[in-house]
Amino acid sequence: MASNAEGSLTVARARELLAAGFAALEERKQEINDLNVYPVPDGDTGTNLALTVKGMVESLAKVPADLSEHDVCAAISQAALMGARGNSGVILSQIVRGAMDVLAQAGPVTQEVLTRALRHATETAYRAVRKPVEGTMLTVLRDMAEAAAHAPETGDLRAFLGQVVAEGWKSVERTPTLLKVLADAGVVDAGGFGLVVFLEGAADGHAGAKTIIATHFAQPAVAPVSFEDEDEGESAFTYCTSFLLSGEGLDKVALEERLGRLGDSLLVVGDARQIKVHVHTDEPGTVLGLVTPMGVLTEIEIDNMKEQTAARSRRLAGSKAAPPVDAGLTQVVAVVAGEGNKALFRNLGVDLIVEGGQSMNPSTEDIVRAVEKAKARSVIILPNNGNVIMTADQTVGLTDREVYVVPTRSIQAGLSAAVAYDKRRPGAENAKEMRAAIEGVATAEITRAVRDSLVDGIQVKAGDFIGLIDDKVIVAGTELEPVVEDIAARLLDGNKGLLTALLGDEEHAGRAAAALEKLRDAYPLVEIDLHEGGQPFYPVLLSAE
Amino acid sequence: MIVDRATTAIVVDSTSDLPGYLADDPSITMVPLTVYFGEEARLDWVEIQADEFYERLKNGPILPRTSQPSAGAFLEVYKRLLETHERVYSIHLSGKFSGTVASAEVAAGQIDGVRVVDSELATGGIALLVARLVELLDKGTAEDEFEAYIAHFLKDKTFYFLPTTLEFLHKGGRIGGASHLMGTVLNIKPVLTIEEGVIDVYKKVRGVPQALELMRDGLVERTDAGSTVRVSISHALNLPLADHLKGLLEGIKDRELKIMPYSIVGPVIGTYVGPGAVALGFIQE
Repeated sequence: MASNAEGSLTVARARELLAAGFAALEERKQEINDLNVYPVPDGDTGTNLALTVKGMVESLAKVPADLSEHDVCAAISQAALMGARGNSGVILSQIVRGAMDVLAQAGPVTQEVLTRALRHATETAYRAVRKPVEGTMLTVLRDMAEAAAHAPETGDLRAFLGQVVAEGWKSVERTPTLLKVLADAGVVDAGGFGLVVFLEGAADGHAGAKTIIATHFAQPAVAPVSFEDEDEGESAFTYCTSFLLSGEGLDKVALEERLGRLGDSLLVVGDARQIKVHVHTDEPGTVLGLVTPMGVLTEIEIDNMKEQTAARSRRLAGSKAAPPVDAGLTQVVAVVAGEGNKALFRNLGVDLIVEGGQSMNPSTEDIVRAVEKAKARSVIILPNNGNVIMTADQTVGLTDREVYVVPTRSIQAGLSAAVAYDKRRPGAENAKEMRAAIEGVATAEITRAVRDSLVDGIQVKAGDFIGLIDDKVIVAGTELEPVVEDIAARLLDGNKGLLTALLGDEEHAGRAAAALEKLRDAYPLVEIDLHEGGQPFYPVLLSAE
Repeated sequence: MIVDRATTAIVVDSTSDLPGYLADDPSITMVPLTVYFGEEARLDWVEIQADEFYERLKNGPILPRTSQPSAGAFLEVYKRLLETHERVYSIHLSGKFSGTVASAEVAAGQIDGVRVVDSELATGGIALLVARLVELLDKGTAEDEFEAYIAHFLKDKTFYFLPTTLEFLHKGGRIGGASHLMGTVLNIKPVLTIEEGVIDVYKKVRGVPQALELMRDGLVERTDAGSTVRVSISHALNLPLADHLKGLLEGIKDRELKIMPYSIVGPVIGTYVGPGAVALGFIQE
C-alpha cells in the first residue's frame, strides 16, 4: 500500500479520531444545547451530535481491526448513518459519508485529499436536506471547504486543519447575520457550532484519544452487542434491566463506572437531566438501589433473559404451538415518549414502538431495528417529532421492507395518523390516508423555557410556561393556567369539535388538567378528551380537529 | 313482457325502512320482521315504531332480538299478489345479516313468477333501489332493462354508515370487519361500509363531523364529475346529523344529486346499529 504511516487510516486510528471529536462534543454539549433557537427542553443539538459520534465509535469497535482503508471508510459511513440522531446528527452523517466517499478512493491523506473530501462532504450534505437554509451547519461546512481550497500548500496537515477550523469559527459567528431566528434568539447556529467543535476535537485530539476511549467506551471491542435483539443476546447474566433516570446534575461517567461492575452490555445514554440505562446483571435490585437516590426512575423493565431464551427454544422446538399473529399488509413503527402515549398507540394497533422523541431522539439504527421486527412487508414510520423526521427518512432503503415515512411532527399528530391506519391495506394506501389524516389537525405543546430568548416575536424568560402551536411560540407567561387557556382557545378557533390533551408526567400536569376541565363550560360544543400521556418535559400536549 | 304497475308488484321486508311516499305506494307490499323484548314480540314498523323502539332500547334493561319472517308469510303475500300481477320482485336485506332473503327464496321456490333479489344492503340502501324500481314501473320498462338496472345497482352501489357506538353491532354479532375497533379509545368514529353484504370498516377518523366529511368525500371519490347520483340518507332518529350530512352533500356542485326523502332506521336495523346512527347510500346512474 502506497500510504505513509501518518496518512493511512486504520480502524483503530479512526476510532481515536472520532473519540477525540466525541470528547470535544461531550465537553461542550450543554453549551451547544443552550444554542437551540427554541427554548424548549428537547431535541438538543449537542446531545444529538455527541450521541451520533459516540454511536460511530461504538460500532467501529465491532468491525475487524485489519480492514483495508477503503473498507474502513465504508464502515465509518455506515456507522455514521446508523448512529445518526436528530436532524443535526443526520446531516453530520451525510457530511461523514461525503468525506468518506473521497477518502475511500484517495490513498494517502494529503491536504489536497482533505480539501476534496470537505468539498464532496458539502455537496452531499446540501443534497441530503430538502430545503437547505443558509446560516446553518451547511453554511459553516461550505465556508470551511472553501477555506481549505484557498489554503496555501504547506505539507503540515495539522496547520492546514487549524486554518480550516479557524474559518469554521468565523463562519459560526456569522450565522446570525444569515438567519434571522438566530439573531432574534441571540444565539449562533447550534449545528454549525457543534460541527466545528467536532472537527476541532478530531483534528487536534490525537494525544488524548486513547484515554478518551478508555474512559467513555468501557466495552471491550471483543464483545459485540447483538443487534438482532438486545434482550436475546447471549449473556453471562440473567436479568436484562433497563430504566430511565431523571434528576439534576446526573453524572453519567460515574454511573457507567459503578454499573459496569454489576454486569455487562451496559448502555448509559443521556445527559445531566435524564439518562437511559440498559444493563445485563445478576443483581437488578442492587442496580436499582444504586440509582434510586440519584433521581426519579421510570420505565423500569427487568426481564429474565434465561427464561426468555428457554421460552424461545421451546417455541422454536414446537414451532406449530404458537398461533401465527396476523400482521396484515402494513405495520407501523412509532417514536413515542411516555407510557400512556405508548398505550394509546398500541390501542390503535401500533405495536412497534421506539422509545424517544421528547426525551431522547432515536438513532437511525434504533428505528431500523424496529422496522426489521415487522412481519408485514410494508412499514409506516411515525417520527412524531420534527427532529426525528430526517432520521426516519434515512431508514428508507436500509431494510428489505417497503418503508413509508408519514412526517408527523408531534405525538398528537402521530395519534391522528394512527387512527387512520388499517393493517389490511397496502403500505402506499395507508401512507396516503395517514398523511390526509394529519392535515386537518392543529397541534400545540406547553412546556417551560430552558433559557431567556426572543422567539417568534415573543420575549421568553427561563422558567416561563410557553405555548407553541405548530412549532411556533405563541404565548409565554409565569403562570401555567392562562397559557393553557390561551393556547386551547386559539386551537379551537375555526370550528374544531374535538380537543385532545395528553398530560405529561411532570409536576404541572395536574394543574394543566384542571385548567382544561374548566374549559368544558366555556366550550360546551367541544368534546374534550384528556389522557395520561406520561411524556417528560411537557405538562400537556394538545391537538384539535 | 313490459314491467309496469299493471303487470308487476314489489315486495320488500321491513328493514327497507321506506320513506313515507314509498311505504304508501300501492305497488309495494311490506313483510315485517319481528322484534322481541324478551318474550314480547312486536312486528317491525307494524306493531312498533321507531320512537318507541329507541326509547326502550335506551332505557330498557333487555337487549332486543330480531327474527326473520317465515317462508309462509312470504308465500301468502306472493300468492295474493300473483292473483292480480304476472310478476313479483321481492327485494331484501343482505343475506349475510339475516335469513329473511332465504325465507323469501324458499317461498319463491313454491310458486312461479317471483324474482328474489338480495340487495346486499339494509335500510335506506334498500329503499334507494326500490325507489328507482318504482320509477321504472311508472315508465313501463322492458324486462331486460329492468333486470339490467338491478344488476347495475348490485354492482355499483355504495353504502356507508356511522354508528354512534359499536356496542350494538358487537352485542348483535353483526360487527364483521370492525371487530378490532371494539374497546378503542380516543373517540374513534369508524365509517362502516357494506361490501358484498358484510360490514367492514371504510375509514376511521376522530370526531363525528369528520366522519360525515369522510362519507361525503367517499361519494366524490366513487362517482364522476358531471354525473347524476341517486342518494339516500337514513338516520336512527338523529335528524341534526342527517341534516348535517345532507348539507355537506349539497355542497357538491359538480354532480347532480337526487337526494331521496330520509329513511328512518327502524326497530330491526336499529337493534344492530343503535340509536343515533346515520347512513348514506348512493349510486351513479
